[in-house]
Amino acid sequence: MRAVAVVFKKEMLEILRDRRTLVAIALAVLASPIVLSVISQVATRTATQTYTVGYTGDVPAGLDTLLNATGLKLERVDDPAAAAKKQVDLGVAFSPSGIDEYYDPSRQSAQLAEVRLRVVLGQFDAARVAAALRQKGVDPSILNPLPVTPHPLSSPVQAAGNAFLSFFLPYILVTMCLTGGLSAALDSSAGERERKTLESLLLTPAPRTQVLVGKILAVSAISLVAALAAIASMLLALTQLKITAGTHIGLSPLAAAVMVWLAILLAASFSSVTLALGTLARNFRQGQAYVTPLYFITIFPASIVLFIPDFNPSLAYYLIPILNAVLVLRDAIVHDAVAWPALAVTTVSLIVTGAASWYAALRLFTREALLVKS
Amino acid sequence: MSGVAVKVDRLAKNLGKNEVLRGISFEANSGEIFGLLGPNGAGKTTTLRVICTLLQPDAGSVGVLGFDTRVEPQEVRRRVGVVTAEIGVYPRLSARENIAYFAELSGVTDGELNSRVGAVIDRLDMRSFAGQRAESLSSGQKQKVAIARAIVHDPPVLMFDEPTSNLDVLASREIREFMIESKQRGKCVIFSTHVLHDAERLCDRVVIIHRGKVVASGTTADVRGPNRDLEDSFLDLVGAR
Repeated sequence: MRAVAVVFKKEMLEILRDRRTLVAIALAVLASPIVLSVISQVATRTATQTYTVGYTGDVPAGLDTLLNATGLKLERVDDPAAAAKKQVDLGVAFSPSGIDEYYDPSRQSAQLAEVRLRVVLGQFDAARVAAALRQKGVDPSILNPLPVTPHPLSSPVQAAGNAFLSFFLPYILVTMCLTGGLSAALDSSAGERERKTLESLLLTPAPRTQVLVGKILAVSAISLVAALAAIASMLLALTQLKITAGTHIGLSPLAAAVMVWLAILLAASFSSVTLALGTLARNFRQGQAYVTPLYFITIFPASIVLFIPDFNPSLAYYLIPILNAVLVLRDAIVHDAVAWPALAVTTVSLIVTGAASWYAALRLFTREALLVKS
Repeated sequence: MSGVAVKVDRLAKNLGKNEVLRGISFEANSGEIFGLLGPNGAGKTTTLRVICTLLQPDAGSVGVLGFDTRVEPQEVRRRVGVVTAEIGVYPRLSARENIAYFAELSGVTDGELNSRVGAVIDRLDMRSFAGQRAESLSSGQKQKVAIARAIVHDPPVLMFDEPTSNLDVLASREIREFMIESKQRGKCVIFSTHVLHDAERLCDRVVIIHRGKVVASGTTADVRGPNRDLEDSFLDLVGAR
């Protein structure tokens, strides 16, 4: 096994001297805090944004004060329907028989203003009804014959934080395990052909299986470092930003352990796949063309939790590489528990994927055409 | 001369649909420079690649110091050093690191590594640039790195495939001197070239390959025969004169 260590050491030395890989990792580490900072600012701005309501008719007494207090500014207009198209966010026509509301659903500001107005009107109506009932000597609670007292079994704020993590963390883990070592993988495979070093390497008596294992270990190591560094920077950024104010965002020891285990499996699998594809290529640029589809193949399952948050599949779904890792990690974060059968199936699936890719890479690495065509 | 170091027996090799080698045979001995001659596309590089186990023979056999390339390829690789025209080096490693990497992969032990690498650097007069990254080296310096990594494990058989084709006059001369020195140390040196003038000056014996077949073999004087030089003999052999 000496050749494995020799190749690993040399590949790591080259990777650490390669600006492309170092810049990619640095950008990944910086990307999460920057993206989260932007999200935080947008969220804060949206919450404190004042929307304009164009109106006609007489505003019921007291409602104007309530609207102003909730960031809805009243502005008299001639035609609320026409004004709601562009001039104001929402149009309202007050009349003794009720309120006509005009808004354009294709405008996000109109949707937000509409929701805010509904909430205010609901509170206004409830207050007026309660006051009228009291005037007639009736207890307003009669309107609420079955009052509900919630007893959440875990902190709703913490749950919201976990839900946020369960969306983003698997996504970052999968994409960074792929992209963190991509440059190194191509350099180590297609780069050998491009630099004309492959022939000399294959001329050494070192077993080719060991040479390939050394390369895969080096690429896996750099992918793992990139993924864990990106996640660490994201968790650190979350503790500093307003988006999570009052919420303790962090991974439980169990979720952290599951994440590291999945990161190791994903990094090893992706390294084998990218090395196999890189071995097919004659140069770095061609290698990049070969691995580009991998982005799409990985991003779809990685983002499924974003689109279907309550996706709870049968055990068979855990055979699908990448999707299985995303689901296991999501469950570990949200429920702070591991479904061991799901983790076992996921582990076997990723190991089989990695082994198959490694075998393919080995076959490609030792075929005669590799040298003849180079 | 010593015994047979490389024995090629009725070797045939196809690459795709091309019949590159069509039953060639020759023997190269220790302590001699053996010329593998022929025009571009004759099959010289393919022959060398089969000898050093990068390619498998389709028919016939190749033995290196008694080891069959098909049966014991790793034993063959331990005993062979190859220098090619394409000087591929790892650009982000220094010259010394490049050499040490191949030494370790060739089985040089940790205890011997520094002394072996240092000895090769001294022998090829590389001290002045051994610590520099390979990306900053000249073609001649890179060729020295390529030679150093091929000989660092002290193989008894050395093969040079068009080693001077990309080099200037000075660097080419150093390569030629190195081949002569290796021969004097008892190595079997196989020199593949299409530059017949070089072969005539260096080789003890030669084989001329044309379209995958041996068309002449023997001592350089035998093959030259009554002609002025090897080039004229070659033109006669292939009917181009």
